[in-house]
Amino acid sequence: MDLLQLIVSGVSQGCVYGLIALGFVLIYKATEMVNFAQGDLMMLGAYVAVTFINILGWPFGWGLLATLAVMALVGVVLERLLFRPMLGEPHFAVLMLTIGLGFILRAFAGAVWGNEPQALHAPYAGQVLRVGELVIGYENLVIVLGTVLLCTLLYLFFRFTRLGIAMQAASQNQLAAFYVGIPVKRIFSLVWALSALVAAFAGVLTAPVSMIDPLIGFVGIKAFAAAIVGGFGSLPGAILGGLLVGLVEQFAGLYLPPGYADMSAYVLLLVMLMIRPEGLFASMQQKKV
Amino acid sequence: MSLLVAEGISVSFGGVKAVQDVSFSINEGEVFSIVGPNGAGKTTIFNLISRIYNTTGGRLFFDGVDITRVPAHSIAHLGIARTFQNTELFDRETVLKNLLIGAHIHRTSNVLSDLFFLPGVRRQELAFRKAAEDVIDLLDLRSYRDQVIANLPYGVRKMVEIARALCLKPRLLLLDEPSSGLNPEETEDLSFWLEDIVEDLGITVAMVEHDMKLVGQASDRVLAMADGKVIALGTPAEVQTHPEVLRAYLGD
Amino acid sequence: MRYLKKTRYLQDINLFKHNGQRFWYGLLLLVMCLAPLGLDRFLLGELSLVYIYAIAGVGLMLLVGYSGQVSLGHAAFLAIGAYAHAYFLNLGWPFPLSLFTSMLLTGLIGGLVAIPVLRMSGIYLAVATLAFAVIVEQTLTHWESVTGGFRGMLVPKPEFFSADLNAYIPFYYLCGGVLILVMLAGLNLLRSPTGRAMVAVRDSETSAQSMGINLARTKSTAFAISAGFTGLAGGLFAHKIGYLAPDAFTLLTSIQLLLMVVVGGLGSMHGVIYGAIFIGLLPSGIAVFRDAVPPSIGQIPGLEPGVFGLILVLFLIYEPLGIYGRWQKIRLYFEEFPLYRRSTYKRQKTYLRTERLR
Repeated sequence: MDLLQLIVSGVSQGCVYGLIALGFVLIYKATEMVNFAQGDLMMLGAYVAVTFINILGWPFGWGLLATLAVMALVGVVLERLLFRPMLGEPHFAVLMLTIGLGFILRAFAGAVWGNEPQALHAPYAGQVLRVGELVIGYENLVIVLGTVLLCTLLYLFFRFTRLGIAMQAASQNQLAAFYVGIPVKRIFSLVWALSALVAAFAGVLTAPVSMIDPLIGFVGIKAFAAAIVGGFGSLPGAILGGLLVGLVEQFAGLYLPPGYADMSAYVLLLVMLMIRPEGLFASMQQKKV
Repeated sequence: MSLLVAEGISVSFGGVKAVQDVSFSINEGEVFSIVGPNGAGKTTIFNLISRIYNTTGGRLFFDGVDITRVPAHSIAHLGIARTFQNTELFDRETVLKNLLIGAHIHRTSNVLSDLFFLPGVRRQELAFRKAAEDVIDLLDLRSYRDQVIANLPYGVRKMVEIARALCLKPRLLLLDEPSSGLNPEETEDLSFWLEDIVEDLGITVAMVEHDMKLVGQASDRVLAMADGKVIALGTPAEVQTHPEVLRAYLGD
Repeated sequence: MRYLKKTRYLQDINLFKHNGQRFWYGLLLLVMCLAPLGLDRFLLGELSLVYIYAIAGVGLMLLVGYSGQVSLGHAAFLAIGAYAHAYFLNLGWPFPLSLFTSMLLTGLIGGLVAIPVLRMSGIYLAVATLAFAVIVEQTLTHWESVTGGFRGMLVPKPEFFSADLNAYIPFYYLCGGVLILVMLAGLNLLRSPTGRAMVAVRDSETSAQSMGINLARTKSTAFAISAGFTGLAGGLFAHKIGYLAPDAFTLLTSIQLLLMVVVGGLGSMHGVIYGAIFIGLLPSGIAVFRDAVPPSIGQIPGLEPGVFGLILVLFLIYEPLGIYGRWQKIRLYFEEFPLYRRSTYKRQKTYLRTERLR
């Protein structure tokens, strides 16, 4: 039964990793940029939600929608201000830019909301679901259900809407997409908006469970491990990778001496990069000459 | 005596058979051209010889040695140098530095002697420079010597790439569309330089080329390809009048 | 504008290209030697720190600026060098032996780390180094028998032939001396085949391979040398801070080191020095800033990393060539005045630089 309990918490934590990883992959697929500030966008999203729900006292649902809207806007602004000028620059320059952005966001959050850990007030906080001996917190349940819901919506979006299909086209071949009349640059803005939105959603889901402070964005690195495990370029892969990292972490906490659980995600990442850098679910391709 | 022998080499990417069962041999001292419409698999043949891609079938021999599975960086040491279709130079360095990198396979120094720049390294540098200057003289690149590649026009880059390949002092030189991006005058010069390279330096040349005039002027034998297969092999005149070749280029 | 008449190939090979350079670098050396006469204890200490950063900077520049391999985990090598040096000193080893051994050890570890990550490039490599740094940081906290864990570890005072090197003037000369040696070694590499192979790998791996350059060996050499130099800096850094604790070597430290080479100017050894001066003096600058502005702004806890991030972002967008690049532009402006064209340094934009096949 302990095992089941462990799996439940692993899955719910894994969903959070998976959602952040989803953001990485969205941006990478479309623009070939790696956004290391993805975790910090999640942190920012959580704080925006705190502002609406805790401070302004809005109902949870409206607060969530407002947060998503604000963060989508943040995504667009970041793209226009920082990342559009960097199109075509070397990848690592963009990578460092996002790292710098992460530091700025952390300092900003610390200045605005303070460094004390806070919890987001959620109507379902503290309630539990009992299935036999298994105790599942509603927060964890909401994380899992929310992830499933968001993934379904994303699937429908990419599968059936014109915009979603245009995004897919732009991420597969920018030049061809441009020639058939897809406004590639605007698509990039939208991709950033979408990925900031996904990150904010992850932030809102996780904020009632774990206290938030400006440094929680560092889970982004673990989420990155998830993205790599999932094959960096596959959206379902990102979620599965997230689940795997979440579970590995829980089990490492059980079987390894204290302190090593934190390392497990990174060890998994390194092992993965060594033995199968193309990930479990996608294939990398070589540059053409 | 055949310098390079390809025995039924094939490669496929995903489901696409880019090269299917291609056999040919390049004789020492000749200019061997590969022609064919776009997507015929010409560049892929070069990429197979220089081991950038793995063959999925067949074997390659260079000077009697099986090179089908040697590591890509060993190819240069065996004596094969190449250029690239869209130039792959070291863009942020000067022409001279690019040529010196071409001499890399002839180094005798190691990391430690390099760290301290021992007298041996200094002598080696002088020797490399001398060799690079010879190539610069041959291809008339003097005025570009200290310029950074990124600032050079495309035609010059093409020549620098040939120069860099010559710095390897290869036995076989693979030129991938050497005349693309050159104006007619430069192409004319190129055909003379090809002659110099073959006759004075004793290097065997294989080239992928679209300019049929250059192919006709410079090459001894021509291999025509379409859709990854050989359709004709012979002298330029033979290949140019071969019915299969005409069909590949002009359609039915 | 200076036009050089070159008559011998050695003029291109020697470190100093003309007498003007010899004069200016000689003057710089003289100033470095005489600095203790004019500076007080604090400034001399700051200058020593700048030298230490520059030593690590040479290592990182060889890797990032010349080999094109990004490392987000160089704090780990700094830490390994520092801890190893302190450990060996605690065992009673003589100072030079200890420093040298820790450099070799760090270089060895750097080379070993490189072997599994060789097949990766770009972001994958960056992330692998980041993961490596986190693992090293965790190890430092948990391997208490060697590192003292959270409690930390006291660094014994350096002695050499019973001279106390920790006194600030000898320590200054020690750091300066090591920097000059490391700088020479770096420049030597760059004018010989090893350095050229690195540059080749940076600019085009495919083409480097076809030139007979062994990618794996070149990259792991670059990693080993870079790690070795950084470890050497770590040994000196240990003395500078006097007491080692894991929180001195975090992600922020790695980013600080990267900031140094980016701000200084990637792909130039001058840039290392500019960058080292910049990050060496930045904390003092921020302290001055904190005092100058109202407390509500000045007392923001995460201000320092935030400023680091902001500067990194601004440089990457507006001056990717760094301080050295800016200096070259200014010099060119005056040399060509009034004919200078802004477009001389205009970046060539490719719409998308793809590393994917399709």
